[in-house]
Amino acid sequence: MLNNLKYNLPDNYNKQQLIKELSGHYTIKKESMLAEKITICDTFDWRLFNKSLVLYASGRRLFLRKLAKSDIIHSAVISTLPVFIREFPDGELKNQLAPIIKMRALLKLVEVHSRSIPYRILNAQEKTVARLAYEEFRAPPKKDTPVLATYLWLKPVKGYPKYARNLAKRIEAAGFTLSKADDIFFTVLAAVNKKPGSYSAKINLQLDPDMRSDKATKVTLRFLLDVMRINEANIEKDLDTEFLHDFRVAVRRTRSALGQIKYVFPAKTTARFKKDFAYVGKLSNELRDLDVYLLKEDTYKAMLPPILRGDIDPLFDHLRKKRSKALQKVIRGLKAKKYTKIMKDWEAFLKKPLRDSATASNAKLPVIDLARNRIYKKYRNVVKLGSQILENTEDEMLHVLRIHCKKLRYLMEFFSSMFPRKKMNTLIEQLKKLQDNLGDFNDLWVQKEYLLNIIAELPTAPKRSKKTLAAIGSLIGSLDNEKQTVKDAFAKTFTDFASPANQALFRELFASTAQEVV
Amino acid sequence: MTTLALYSNKGGVGKTAAAVNLSYLAAQSGAKTLICDLDPQSSATYYFRVKPKLKSGAKGFIKGGKQVYKSVKGTDYENLDLLPADFSLRNLDVAFDKVKRSKKRLRKILNPFKAEYDFIFLDCPVTISILAENILNAVDYALVPLIPTTLSVRTYKHLLSFCNKNNYDASKIYTFFSMVDRHKKMHREIIATASKTYNGVLQSFIPYLAQIEKMGIYRAPVAVFSPESVASRSYQNLWDKVQRTILSPQPDEMNREGSIG
Repeated sequence: MLNNLKYNLPDNYNKQQLIKELSGHYTIKKESMLAEKITICDTFDWRLFNKSLVLYASGRRLFLRKLAKSDIIHSAVISTLPVFIREFPDGELKNQLAPIIKMRALLKLVEVHSRSIPYRILNAQEKTVARLAYEEFRAPPKKDTPVLATYLWLKPVKGYPKYARNLAKRIEAAGFTLSKADDIFFTVLAAVNKKPGSYSAKINLQLDPDMRSDKATKVTLRFLLDVMRINEANIEKDLDTEFLHDFRVAVRRTRSALGQIKYVFPAKTTARFKKDFAYVGKLSNELRDLDVYLLKEDTYKAMLPPILRGDIDPLFDHLRKKRSKALQKVIRGLKAKKYTKIMKDWEAFLKKPLRDSATASNAKLPVIDLARNRIYKKYRNVVKLGSQILENTEDEMLHVLRIHCKKLRYLMEFFSSMFPRKKMNTLIEQLKKLQDNLGDFNDLWVQKEYLLNIIAELPTAPKRSKKTLAAIGSLIGSLDNEKQTVKDAFAKTFTDFASPANQALFRELFASTAQEVV
Repeated sequence: MTTLALYSNKGGVGKTAAAVNLSYLAAQSGAKTLICDLDPQSSATYYFRVKPKLKSGAKGFIKGGKQVYKSVKGTDYENLDLLPADFSLRNLDVAFDKVKRSKKRLRKILNPFKAEYDFIFLDCPVTISILAENILNAVDYALVPLIPTTLSVRTYKHLLSFCNKNNYDASKIYTFFSMVDRHKKMHREIIATASKTYNGVLQSFIPYLAQIEKMGIYRAPVAVFSPESVASRSYQNLWDKVQRTILSPQPDEMNREGSIG
């Protein structure tokens, strides 16, 4: 089947001219003008754009298409614009988007007004055999803002391919050109100054291997500060849980950089900001914990025997109440003088020119040497500790190993731009698997403890609360079982990570350093 | 994807008119829609100004696959395609009888369309043979137009007992009143009784109207040539009912107390 074709108009073209020309050859019927408001949506971190997808609402329907393509992949009827994936109507659209959007909120990126004048090409039976349409796009806010783009559409009608082919020839002969790569998506976003893909919490830096270590570290920390600033502004709006999450990851990475990229700044400075960011991190610990429990609500319910599923609701109601209090606390914390001062001082420090100091002995080292040294040391740490745990698996030690892995992961991510991408990705992928295992173990452990403690807090209403306690008890049991399963999987996950092939790769990339590193 | 048959074991009850108008309304809402004209009389095909011709005729149709796919024609309306009828479809019953898993053949033939369309409507000929079983096996729901007359209700009872006997799930069968004349006392009475007696009676009436017959002159759905007419509004109302009670049910919309007659 022929696809819809989109053409750019020749410069200064009078739209009527083509229709006039074509009516010498075909019966053409003009239809009434169609005006639509199109709302384009994506998550804050451009999850759909990153998959080359465009999601937009028009009328009472939601449409999904590929970038630069006009064919609709899926569509669904909606009454209001869904924000979270659970609000989507069941169906293929939801199924395709769920693993992409996950827990993020859909935001309205931009509204665009489309006005099109359709024409039908008729055969002798007055049956439509092809369609043409001029479509104009205008940016918000008003309907009469300047036209951003005008296209001519040729829409073949199934079963009448010859007409479409002949029309295409005539259209091209009139000077129209196929518009293949461009998409109104880009045009309209540019019109409102939005850059697709402009935000990502992933570290995306290009470090020069010969750069001074203190400078490279500041570049990295500056990036993390930007991530904090971008998300901090949105935490208060409470659109979804991930603004806080990204904020916290940036804080954790900052702390890790301060601790792990050693002796690049004066000792006093490092110590001060380590303390400061520990404080900033702690501000939102409780809120994040509650977010995690609430995100898992459905998973938890699925763990319960059906007979108890309804009885766990009081727990989640309680957690929701706690969460709104915790959110207010975080908002207050982020507005407080202490936080404002920390961030202001930090920004000033990052802007300040580099300064030599007796306690910053690695400051002048080429960053590649420092990176190799730190990553390799941390890696050996992880392998050593992991091997000990293999012989004697203690819960506490798994926790310590998890922290080490996290530090290693951050170091690799900070410096990954200086190493071969493929090899680096392989190693990070391996490390990630180990981290997932350790992370799951830790989460299950923490969650179990948390539930044990929360029982005391739950408001007591006679009959009902007893069944609720039974439900929580059952949940704790399930979590404990799962914890054991995860723990059993540790040996294999770790052995994979510490495989001779991986060890060799770590050695190859990080073992040699040209200069002495402290 | 949802498949709906406009089906009846009685002739002249308004199947084609309903199939044409409902598929048009579905397509207008933006849903990719296909209407399959299974009736060798090819009235739906005629309404859409398409030549009643299938590539390789009924034989090719039974085979399924590419030939059927290639026979699809776009209509005058965006999002609405038609699988035209063919005179050779009059032998469809015989043809189904000769193939393997003969009662589920139609379902297999429609399978390739499911990925592309949100709705598939079947405009069915009068039948209660192997073709009827094929239809019941192929669709999610069957909509049976019911003229509020004794004979029509009697035929409807036959259909339900046919389902019972052959183990077809009668809950996928819905009915609505067609060619209704509210001035007739008998029509009013039958509507009242049937609504109480049977499950799945949509409270929606398509009146007996000249506008609907004019579809043959304009060769278009009523909403196209007479958008403000009572006829147009009653199909819109029927489509709303179908969506609200069948496709995305809401509580209290349906009269499900009655037992299967």
